[in-house]
Parts: sequence; structure tokens; C-alpha cells
Amino acid sequence: MSSTSSLILKLSPLALPYLALFCGGVFLTVCQSFGLLTPLPYPGGMVDAYLELLTDSSFFASFVFSLGVAAVSAASAVTIGTLLAYRIWKLPGRLATVALVYKIPLVLPHIAVAFVVLVFWSQSGILASAAHQLGLIRSMTEFPNVLYSGWGIGMILAYTLKGTPFAMLLVMAMLVRFDARQIQTADMLGASGLRIFFSVVLPRLAPAMHTGFIILFLYSFGAFDIPYILSESRPGMLSIQVYNLYFKHDLARRPEAMAILTIMFGFAVLFIVAYSKVVRRLEDGVRKL
Amino acid sequence: MKHLVTLLVLAMLFVLPVVVLMLIGLAPGWRFPHVWPDEFSPQAIAYLVRNHERILTSLSSSLLFSMLTVLATLPMCLIPAAVFARVDFPGKALVEGLLLTPALVPPMTFAMGLHYVFIKLSLTETMLGVVIMLAMFSYPYMFRALVAGFQSMGEDYRMCARNLGAGPLAIMLKVELPLLIPAVIAGGSVVFLVAFSEYFLVFLIGGGSVDSFTGTLFPLLSSSNRSLAAVLTLIFLFLPIALFVIMDTTLLRLYRKMQMI
Amino acid sequence: MKRTLVIIALYFTMTAPTGLYAQTADADLAKTPFSRIEEQARGSQVSWYMFGGWAHVNTWVDTYVAGEMKTRYDIDLVRVPMDAGVFVNKLLNEKAAGKKKGNIDLLWINGENFKNAREAGLLFGPFAQKLPNVQQVVDPDSIAFDFGFPVDGYEAPYGRAQFVFEYDTAQIAEPPTTMAALKQWIHANPGRFTYPQPPDFTGSAFIRQVFYAVTGGHAQYLAGWDPDLFARKAPLLWQWLNDVEPYLWQKGRTYPQDSAFLDTLFSRGEVGLGMSYHPPHAQNKIIEGTYPETVRTFVMQDGSIYNIHFTAIPFNSPNKSGAMVLANFLISVDAQLSKYRPENWGDFPALDPKRLSPQDKRRFQAVDLGPATLGPEQLNPVAVPEIPADYLEAIEQGWRDHVLNE
Repeated sequence: MSSTSSLILKLSPLALPYLALFCGGVFLTVCQSFGLLTPLPYPGGMVDAYLELLTDSSFFASFVFSLGVAAVSAASAVTIGTLLAYRIWKLPGRLATVALVYKIPLVLPHIAVAFVVLVFWSQSGILASAAHQLGLIRSMTEFPNVLYSGWGIGMILAYTLKGTPFAMLLVMAMLVRFDARQIQTADMLGASGLRIFFSVVLPRLAPAMHTGFIILFLYSFGAFDIPYILSESRPGMLSIQVYNLYFKHDLARRPEAMAILTIMFGFAVLFIVAYSKVVRRLEDGVRKL
Repeated sequence: MKHLVTLLVLAMLFVLPVVVLMLIGLAPGWRFPHVWPDEFSPQAIAYLVRNHERILTSLSSSLLFSMLTVLATLPMCLIPAAVFARVDFPGKALVEGLLLTPALVPPMTFAMGLHYVFIKLSLTETMLGVVIMLAMFSYPYMFRALVAGFQSMGEDYRMCARNLGAGPLAIMLKVELPLLIPAVIAGGSVVFLVAFSEYFLVFLIGGGSVDSFTGTLFPLLSSSNRSLAAVLTLIFLFLPIALFVIMDTTLLRLYRKMQMI
Repeated sequence: MKRTLVIIALYFTMTAPTGLYAQTADADLAKTPFSRIEEQARGSQVSWYMFGGWAHVNTWVDTYVAGEMKTRYDIDLVRVPMDAGVFVNKLLNEKAAGKKKGNIDLLWINGENFKNAREAGLLFGPFAQKLPNVQQVVDPDSIAFDFGFPVDGYEAPYGRAQFVFEYDTAQIAEPPTTMAALKQWIHANPGRFTYPQPPDFTGSAFIRQVFYAVTGGHAQYLAGWDPDLFARKAPLLWQWLNDVEPYLWQKGRTYPQDSAFLDTLFSRGEVGLGMSYHPPHAQNKIIEGTYPETVRTFVMQDGSIYNIHFTAIPFNSPNKSGAMVLANFLISVDAQLSKYRPENWGDFPALDPKRLSPQDKRRFQAVDLGPATLGPEQLNPVAVPEIPADYLEAIEQGWRDHVLNE
């Protein structure tokens, strides 16, 4: 047996389901977006669904809005997660065990996290009540309108809360392998705590942070659980639009739902490729310095 | 002092929500401007007791398909992970990147396309269909963990076993797999959590026939009965945590035993 | 929409032979006497797909209905929570994929979902006239139409709902009881009113009530879809809704996604008025502990929409006999009475009081609806029927174009 065929054989437990189910699934989604292989024959032209979307200004608004919510929440989750992970890593042993509570939101489903955000941040929520008790506000309408500002802040808060422990998990895995003596050395050489963090620790953690960002960003971009609870009427999230098109309308609009999915898929793939290219170039640049 | 601040921030972010969920569960009438509920009521607990059978059924169903998903991803990833950890071949980075995409792209993008095929194959409304779908987008976590596990194990054990005359199957089962257990647990935990907390795919493929705890929880979380929603969320939280604790302690005991022998 | 349905219909005639076997068996069922059907169903399992967002309704189904089905007919009832729009879509997918044996036996359905399902040939029937309880205690006229669409025996009645508003007597002394007064009230209390965003069931019904009130009543629309009439009258509706929009909760920039969300806003006092398509809703919420004890219900004097909600059987139900037995039990005097009690659910019976024995009538009258629920004497005088479903779709689409995105 040649080495190539043995390689293929060894990869087949993963490669076969990947090709049949994942690639097959994406292929069917793309086909249906062109009105082919739909459950019922589709009367329109091949690109009707795309024309419909591209001429709809609310589609663009939704797309940009979904991107914004995903980018801001992923960036803040990674930032907060990295800082907290570093702080936990520096905790003495016994306290570090207590710090394991950070894993709680990892277990909570997204929709429950959305529920928690709702309970805390609505104008009649816990924080508003606290502000009232402290005499900061007199009635609930004076509490800042966090959830319905039109900026998706509620969803950003929920994604950040859910994403932070995930980023922490990834960063912690890096930190475990990190040699504390490097910090001691830098310390002895007179570097400040801030300086140590930024020039010694952070570069080591970068790979975990990049991975975390990509995963969180793309998840928030495409998932529908949190928007289901926290999204506003306008602009809507893309995933909600797909859900409504798929489940709440008749089969004639199936190609439209699939076209949105195809665009989302294409974007996700492009994003992964572009992001890893940029990161690699940056890292090469750093290495040359 | 600095440590205290760290712990305080952690508590505010991650413990406070759980405390508040408990309070909501016990006090359905808790509303603005009270910071502490003025009245407690066992309504939600009573509902729980009345419906314990149904809740337990959906919990065990969720547990079952999540476990099966973990079990399905393991054989899928084991040999390919070994290859990725040890063999260099042209286009490896690309293939690895491609194999990780199912966890990155929105699962709706391929699940909705597959849905129709699953109906044709009578895989919808079956546990099997649900497990296939869940395994298909959660395996990258297992794969990554196993690749890392094989890398940190190195080649020495395998060489040694081979020199002592063990065949490839025996090496895999008796030498490598036991050494891989931490990696399997790490990957398996993530796969389990992903499967256990998934609502949409189970709903799409299971079509209501495959019971799931998220399926019970979801309509209630978006309803106005917040007390009940909070209590069910706490159960949801408790089960995986209990499972992980049990697993950790038994493993520890197992390791101690193995070393003693 | 219409075009699609024609295509769907064509498609199914092309693939008719696949459905032939099921049809003959179904035809047999139509000839079988009901006592025989009950016998066939004994020891079987029935899956009932229904909206799952109301814990008290879930409990009632899981305990009372499931218990009675078991003791009376030895049938195991499985309740599956799923929104009506979603199971109709699921059935469409299954029909298109040629799946002859599905897994849904009974649906809780009405209105546009029924119309969509019926037009796409997703329902088994007619079966309603076969049910002994429908023959005995239901007024056939009351179930002839569902949102203006002929029922033709493809649905069995299950309950009666009517649109009510809710307010907290501790906060508001006199609630507005006409649409004109409501408008004034909204202007006088900015930020204290909103309605769920269509296609939410409740929000959509609220808009229809406004439509009736500002365009001169419901009678003109009942004859069927009239695009000219709609084009002439609809601007009055958009004007009313846009007039109040800046004074709504969040200045009308966003609307609650669904009625549960509005309930939450109301229960926490963020808005002053709640609304529901279910007269006992406020009482249920008080019992549940979510609403303050001081909440009461009122109706608009210029019309309060009512409807009948139904159960139906999908074309590919694996246990049609069992589904019929369940549908028949649900419309029985016992089940309707149990459902009427506010501690169980409080849903109004779909029975004809004139057809009840004096003894049964007294049993219904003896039910204490609770202080927050209006009785038939307040509800019946203002009750107006639902609009034909074509208007409903036009209004929902128009709301997107003229109110949300204008």
C-alpha cells in the first residue's frame, strides 16, 4: 500500500462524514438557494432569491448589524477573558480553586445567559432596583435604556458574558504551559507589572486569543438563541431572519432563507482565511523585529 | 488585596447571576424597586415536583444523546488525530483548517440543507439522526484535544511497545488510549456541553420526538413565567457540573489505583 | 402565496399514487363507527403537538388530560411543545419528502395556520362530525368558519378565546374602554403602552381590533377578501398606529417580540396596560404569582374579537383513531369544565350552552372564574368575529411597510 492511500485510509473516519454530511449539507443549502433540489419545484429563476436580498436595504442593515454585534462582543470577551485568566493564574493555589466558578456560564445554555442579562439590565431589573435603592434614580424610566437602544447592547452583553469564560479557558490552557521564571527575570530586570503583561505575557497568549476571537465572532454572527430573546425589532439579526423565513413562511421563500445561509457561510470562510493571513503576517513582522 | 479584587470581579460576573436565578425561582412576584424579594413562594418548586417525571425523562434523553455524541466523535477522530500529530504531508495545514470548519461556521448552514435528506432517509425524529448531526459539528473539539494529546505523548511509548512486540491495535488500545484519557476527557467535556446545551439542531432533526431538556426549557425561558424558567435553568446547570465532579473524582481514584498496581 | 399553493397542489396531484394507500385506510376510518374507533385506539399512544409556552396549560394536559385518557381509553398521551407555524412547516417538509408515516397525531391549531395547512393538503378529514361530543354539545354554526375559512370538518373545536386588556387597579383608576380613549390615554401617558410585534398572535389581533374600530366596524369585511375596500380603509389604520407610535414604550423604536414579553413588561410595571387573547390570562398570572393581586381585566366597548381554537389531525398521523378519541374527549363536558376552572386554565368552553343538560349547565355556572376574569355577561355583548385570513396577512404585511419601516 502506498503511503498516500494509507494516509487517506487513516483519515477516512473523519474525512468521509466530513465530505458526505458537512460538504453535502452545505452543497444542498447552496443548491436550494438557487431554487434547485428544493422540497417543492421552485418557480422562480436561479438568482431570484439573491436579487430579492440584494435589493432589500434591510438585509444590508441586518448584515452589518450582525457583524457589529459579533465583533464587539467577541473582542470584549477575549479582552476581559485574557485579563481575568492572567489574574487567576497569579492567584495563590487555594484561591485558584475558588476561581473555578468562572466555568459556570460555560455550562449555561446561551438562552439562559440571555435571560440573566434581561433580569439584570432591563429598566425594571436588578440593577435598576439597586440604583433606585441607592437613590440614583427616582423611577425606572430614568435607568439607562440599555436593552432597547437600537445598538444591540443587550445581545453584546449576553455574548460577552457567555464568551468570557470560553476565552479564559483557552488562555488558561496557554498559561499552564507558561514558564513563570520569564516573569521573574523581567521583574528582576526592573520591568513594571504593566510592561511585563504587555511585552512578556501577552505575545505568548496571542494564539489562544486569536482562536478565541474567531470562534466567538463567528458563533455570535450565526447563532439564534440569544437574539431570540434579546433582539430588537429593527435592525434585526440575520439568524432571526433565517429562522422566520424557514419556519414561519411557506416553502416558496425557502430559497431566500438558503441564500442568506449561503452568504453567511461564504462570509465565515472568507473571514477565517483573511483573519489567519493577517495574523500570520503580523506575527512574521513581529519576529523580524 | 489585588487578589480580593480578582475574586470579587469573578463573583460578580459568574456567581451573582446564579444567586439571582435562585431568588427568582423562589419569588415569582419579585419586582422593581425591591432589591430583595419581599415574599417567597414555592410555586415553581411545586411545579417541579408535579412534573418531575417529565423533567427527568427529558433530562435523561438529553444526557443520552450527549453521551452518544461523545462516543461517536471519539472513533471518528482517534486515528486521524494520530496522523495529524505525527505525519507531515503536503497541504496538511489546509486540510486541518477545513476539518475544523464545522465548529466555526453557523451550524444552520449545513443542517438546514441536510434536513430534507434526513427526512428522506427517515433519520429525522430518531436518536441516531440527532447524534449524527450533533457529532458533525462538535467533533472538531474532540479532534483538537486528541491532536494535542498525541503531540504531548510523543513517540517514545509507541516505539517501546513496538520493540516489545505489540501490534498496532494493541498499541492503540493498551498503550496509547490510557495515556490519552486526559485529552479524551477534555475534548469529550466540550463535546458533551455543546451537545447538551444545543436547542436548535435537536429541535430541527428530532422534530419533538427526541425529547431534550433544552426543548422543555426553551418555551419557558421565553414565556413570562420567569420563576419556573429560573428553576429549570438551575437544574440545567447542576447536572453537567455534578457529572464533571463525579468523573474527576473517579478518575483520580482510578489513577491512584493504577499506580499502586 | 396563492401561486405557491397552486404549485403545491399541482405537485401533490403529480405524486398522488404515493398517498393512495393511506387514503383508502383513511376512507375506511370514515365508515367505522366511533365505538369501534375507540376500541382500535385502546392501548395506543397519541402524540399531541401544541404550543408549549404556558406552564399551567402544560400541567393541565400532562396531569388531567393524560390521566383521563389513560383511565378511560388506556391511551398514552405524549405532549410535544412546538409552535403552530413550525409544525405546519414540518408537515410541509414531510409531505414534500413523501413521508407517509409521520409522528404527529393531533395538532392544536387555528386561523392562518389552519388555512395554510388545509390548502397544502396537510390535514386528515373530515372527521369532526364523527365525534359524538361534537354531534351532541356543539353548535355546528359556531364551528363552520375559522378566521373566515371554511372548516369543513377538518378541525374539532377545543376552546373559545376573546381579546381582553389588563390593568393594575393600584396604578390606574379608569382604564380607557374605546380605541379613541386609548389613543388619548397613550398620548397622556407616554412610554406606558405597547403591543407585540406582528406576526405575534396577540399583537396581530390587537391591530385587527384597531382596524375594526377606526374603519367603521367588522361587518363590511366578513364577505371575504376585497382588495379595493382594504386599500381604501387601511390608511386609517396606519394613521392611528403611527399617531401613537412616538408615545409608545421605547418611543415605538422597538416592539416586544411576543406577547410573553409584553406580559413581562406589564408584570414589572414598565407598561401600564397588558393585553391577551385569553380572558383568564390575568387570573392565571395572579395565581402563578407573576401579576399583582390588584390586576383586573377589561374589554373595548367598540368590539372585542373572539375566536374558536381547534384540534386537527395531520395527513400522516400514525394513529388517527387515537387522535380522534383525544379530540372527542377534549370537547367533552368533563374536559371543557375542567379546562374552564381558573386554577387549571380558565379557557372558555366551545360548547353550546343550549345543548347542555340543566345539570351540566349548573356545573359550568358554579365555576368561580376569579376576580380578574370577566364573565360571559360582560364578554358576549362586545364580541365580534375574526376577520378572513387574507385581511390578516395584508394587515401584517402592511404593518411592516407602513408602521415599522415607514
